[in-house]
Amino acid sequence: MTAHTEDQLIACHECDLLIEEVENQPGQDVICPRCNARLYYTTINGIERLLALSLAGLILFIPANLFPILTLKVFGQNQSQIILNSAMSLFDGGLFLIALLIMLFAIVIPLLQLLALLYISCSLHFGWGGRLLRQAMHSYQHLRGWGMLEIFLLGVLVSIIKLKDIAQLEIGLGLYSLAALIILITLMGITFNPHQLWQQIDHHRQQSKRYD
Amino acid sequence: MTKPLTSGYQSARQSGYLLCSDCNKLHKLAMEGHHCDRCGVKLHSRIPNSLNHSWACLITAVMLFLPANLLPIMTFKTFGQGEPSTILGGILQLLERDMLFIALVVLTASIVVPLLKIIALTILLSTVQFGLETNLRQKTIMFRAIEWIGRWSMLDIFVIGILVALVQLGNIAHIEGNHGATAFAIVVILTMFSAIAFDTRLIWDNGIAKAEAAKQTSRNHKED
Repeated sequence: MTAHTEDQLIACHECDLLIEEVENQPGQDVICPRCNARLYYTTINGIERLLALSLAGLILFIPANLFPILTLKVFGQNQSQIILNSAMSLFDGGLFLIALLIMLFAIVIPLLQLLALLYISCSLHFGWGGRLLRQAMHSYQHLRGWGMLEIFLLGVLVSIIKLKDIAQLEIGLGLYSLAALIILITLMGITFNPHQLWQQIDHHRQQSKRYD
Repeated sequence: MTKPLTSGYQSARQSGYLLCSDCNKLHKLAMEGHHCDRCGVKLHSRIPNSLNHSWACLITAVMLFLPANLLPIMTFKTFGQGEPSTILGGILQLLERDMLFIALVVLTASIVVPLLKIIALTILLSTVQFGLETNLRQKTIMFRAIEWIGRWSMLDIFVIGILVALVQLGNIAHIEGNHGATAFAIVVILTMFSAIAFDTRLIWDNGIAKAEAAKQTSRNHKED
């Protein structure tokens, strides 16, 4: 082990095993021989894909939040609901903490993740300044797992089933946009390759330093 | 899939290296407490105070688990009538209306998963804290499972939010949230924090220490 230079060594982030770095083909995962954690892999056109996905995601974010998800019809009365309503009505009912959490997990964090990825992919693809690249990467990495739109969608489905005997429900445009947005966010999570992106950021920083 | 070859299992820490937690760059162990030159975070060989923070979140979650399940989470009123219901009450109502599948989904997300998560974290933390002998790979799989599934417990919170927003028809029908839901949300968040604070590498450190101790004793036996 000691015969190798530092550049050829890596460590497993889950079990801290020291390993020699090996060459891998695109689409081939390198996994830890001890704990089977995925160490690194190669994504083809990762930055371009992230750019496309985050841009499409941001566009879909608008109808998903502005159009009604569900409309309830009882005795000629209509009650529509967008994502923000779920937080606001709990806030009105005095459940401030839950209102805040729903607001964060279903609106703010997904939005921040989309913006962070758009910033990262734009800076790397077009070679822009990228002064906040590190911060954007850290935010995206730490917010992973806290964006819960897919759980919100399951919540909508549970609510539909709970209410279907009591009242007439109509599914709105917002729900379809939300479903599409969730697919994009999931694809973003798969395409986001931290190991490779950090190397590209390192490269980007060294290049921009050269021009300074 | 490619598995790199290793000559014997040795951790980065034993060999004098540490791994950056955010960008996975390998540094010399002497860099502990300094900032990573690639991504700028503070470098630590292991998450500082991992066990303490993880225990603290877990114990608080356990304490709040009772109010979360005993206090009502929401009240459904039609024409001014209706009782507040707890998590379990809501599941029983679904069963009464012959919605077995959806009742199972809610039961899994709201009761089974948080309970399993609390038990699993207790086992993981005790193994490391008291240096118990254990199957290391199994423990790693256990951790990955709870880390992945834990967030789905937020389901009930979202359902309450959606129902409260939707069913606001004055006297005809009206749903409001109750404070049991706050306790439940805090339980879910705290178990997530507990899992984040837990450093999986501690499981393996503990395992290596155990294996070395075993080797030492067998050597002593031979000498005797």
